Amino acid sequence: MAPNNKTLGHVAIIGGCGFVGFNIVNLILERYPESKIAVLDVRTDVNRLDNSSVSYNQCDITDFSALKELFGKLKLDTVIHTAALIPMADSANSRKISYKVNVDGTKNLLAVSQETGVKAFVFTSSSSVVVGDVWEVINADESWPVLVGKDQPEYYSTTKAMAEIAVLEANRSSSSSLLTCALRPAGIFGDHDNTSLLRTLQIRGAKMCFQIGNGENLFDFTYVKNVAHAHLLAAEALLQTHTLGITPLDSERVDGEAFFITNGEPVYFWDFIRRIWILRGMPEDKTFDLSKVWVISITVGMFFATLSELIMGLLGRTANFNRLSIKASAMTRYFNIDKARMRLKYEPLFGLDEGVQRGVRQMVSQESTSEKKG
Amino acid sequence: MVSAGSVVHYLTHPTELRAIIQWKLYHLPVHERDEKAESENTKKCFYFLDLTSRSFAAVIKELHPELLVPVCIFYLILRGLDTIEDDMTIPLETKLPILKGFDKILEQPGWSFDGNHEREKDRQLLVEFDCVIQEYAKIKPAYQKIITDITKRMGDGMAYYCDNAEHNENGVNTVEEYEKYCHYVAGLVGEGCTRLFVEAGLALPALLERPELMESMGQFLQQTNIIRDIKEDYDDNRRFYPKQIWSQYVDEFEDLFKPENREKALNCSAEMILLALHKVDECLYYLAGIKEQSVFNFCAIPQTMAIATLNACFRNYALFQRNVKISKGEACEIMTQSTQNLKLVTEVFKKYTREIHKKSSPQDPHYLEISIACGKIEQFIEKLFPSQKAAKPANAKTSEQIEKERAVEKENTWELIYMGLAVLATIFVCSISMVGVAYLAGARFDLLWQELTSGTLFPKDAAETVVTKVITSTATVDAGHVEL
Repeated sequence: MAPNNKTLGHVAIIGGCGFVGFNIVNLILERYPESKIAVLDVRTDVNRLDNSSVSYNQCDITDFSALKELFGKLKLDTVIHTAALIPMADSANSRKISYKVNVDGTKNLLAVSQETGVKAFVFTSSSSVVVGDVWEVINADESWPVLVGKDQPEYYSTTKAMAEIAVLEANRSSSSSLLTCALRPAGIFGDHDNTSLLRTLQIRGAKMCFQIGNGENLFDFTYVKNVAHAHLLAAEALLQTHTLGITPLDSERVDGEAFFITNGEPVYFWDFIRRIWILRGMPEDKTFDLSKVWVISITVGMFFATLSELIMGLLGRTANFNRLSIKASAMTRYFNIDKARMRLKYEPLFGLDEGVQRGVRQMVSQESTSEKKG
Repeated sequence: MVSAGSVVHYLTHPTELRAIIQWKLYHLPVHERDEKAESENTKKCFYFLDLTSRSFAAVIKELHPELLVPVCIFYLILRGLDTIEDDMTIPLETKLPILKGFDKILEQPGWSFDGNHEREKDRQLLVEFDCVIQEYAKIKPAYQKIITDITKRMGDGMAYYCDNAEHNENGVNTVEEYEKYCHYVAGLVGEGCTRLFVEAGLALPALLERPELMESMGQFLQQTNIIRDIKEDYDDNRRFYPKQIWSQYVDEFEDLFKPENREKALNCSAEMILLALHKVDECLYYLAGIKEQSVFNFCAIPQTMAIATLNACFRNYALFQRNVKISKGEACEIMTQSTQNLKLVTEVFKKYTREIHKKSSPQDPHYLEISIACGKIEQFIEKLFPSQKAAKPANAKTSEQIEKERAVEKENTWELIYMGLAVLATIFVCSISMVGVAYLAGARFDLLWQELTSGTLFPKDAAETVVTKVITSTATVDAGHVEL
């Protein structure tokens, strides 16, 4: 996309060395060459760019006073908050830490943003905030209720939901002119994927060619550059509203709103997986044969997953093959992005298949370089 | 005549047989032609309709009386035009002026044409075309205007393709050209029909504001026909698959039909079907704009037949060997479901979309795109008819409430701990007092302690003793006599 002369001012990317944040930094450089970028992250040694427009600031968002000092120094116009802690396993301790980072950290950022006169605050939420303990989420839109606590089976999603609520409450709050909005991406994948959706998906069972459920479950995936694109649209919309200084019509409003962001191309979950297997290259002695796919019914899958959880639990380890992963691969889960299309003028820049091809290509080249190194 | 093959087919597919019987017995036309009130000339036109149309005659004859004759005449005029375009034996210098001036011919009472080849199947229609012209003169001027306009544009389009040596030699090159061709021969029909429906007040005028919807209606049908007829067209020395598509798989068009290129041919046809699937959501949207049942049936039946045909062609190598058809039973079932409401029509679409998806081959380069196209159709159907009830009104919690809940939860946890401690404390106090009472009553705890420490209750070598005993007793039995 051609660079335009608009600017996001001085923009901070919280988690700018992470998967989504890094892609946002790159897109800002490409699209708003006038903008000044401050990356804030707990570790700034990965995904680091050597560019004079980007400053790197190591900081911990749970440390309020340090954050306050940094914000006072930076004098930011825009904050894009992508940082979150995704716990690997569920324990009391991991819950405590993720609450501290995801909820308290976000509240800290909101408070210092309000105090230091930030104009626009874009928060990376998650589509899972509306996904309860169900097997079907069909074409869900923003009218679905946000679930926390008992209604929300995943603690990570609870923290994201709480943070999102805090972000949207901070919009136009009496004390400041800060405008906020939340984006809820679904199934992010792509280049520099250190949460490695693609890798997780490709490793599991390429050798076995299995499928759980009837294979008719549609699922939303989103190529990371489209997610980055949506963030910039949202930031731009908030800044514009801020400049105009009038409250937009309810039907056009971006501030104080949440938006689902996907590729707009729900696909059958297992087709997506097979595409990755095939692009990645099947194991040498295998060709993918549709008639030989090993179809495991959901009930059987859940039974063995429970068994695996029990056995691994006795051995004191976390089971990779668990009920949650069965559910993640056999449930229907896709969203309606009309709101983002209408209000943010969001349209995915990259098609899903193109995204998968790019992602897999990048992953393969990364693997071959690390092999050489090793 | 019922063939042995079909007897076997329907014996093994009883649901299809049932569908046929159901359709024949229970289908009631929304409107019925009143033949008694028709003139001889009108009857003759309907005779030609039956003669020249296989699939459309039935639906046209059940149309609302207001549009019955206009649509029949519209069909015959376009059929006449098509018969001239198709006939390769007519020299260009005769053909082009007729095609370009066909709208004027409609104003010439008595015009007919006998220049078609003897074997041209619809030749007779043009030989007696004056009956169509005579009937055309009787319909409302508003309808005439629409029909003339479409006839003119279609005639010009056909003339362009006939006069295009490149097209005749190599067929269609790009996908854009392919869709343009489909526009002339089918998209325009969609436009003409829609304008007639709206003029008659039987469809929402909003349909005219979204011209891409009526275009897609025509495109979807025409593309399906082209996909299905590949072998027949090839045998007639014609090709409509765009080169842009088939050249990705084979060097020469005829290579598609070679057995060694089986997979390539299947992937090529799959890409053609993918192209057609992109039109489906707009077709369904269009159908939502039809107000009258007979018009709905007229529009919906060809569409559902088309998706079923695409499913029959999808990854079916027979496509390159003969004409692929859906069975009569399947057709009757589809017709029954297409003559009621949009909900049922979307279910037909969903069923065939899923069947297509199920057959899709992961090795096909367009595998994921086909999956996406199918998913898009399913999502669109969900938009029309959501299968999940609208979620409860978001009863949004504020951060404050959440904090409170968390505080309460924490309190609860502590409460639990306190209660546990209280229980333990109670048990402890009770035990102590019971022991105390026992002591006062003279219980000898010192003896108990002594016994415990000296190992009376849990003798240290108890286990060993047991094992030795067992071994000894076995040995004793083996020895066969008693020692003591």
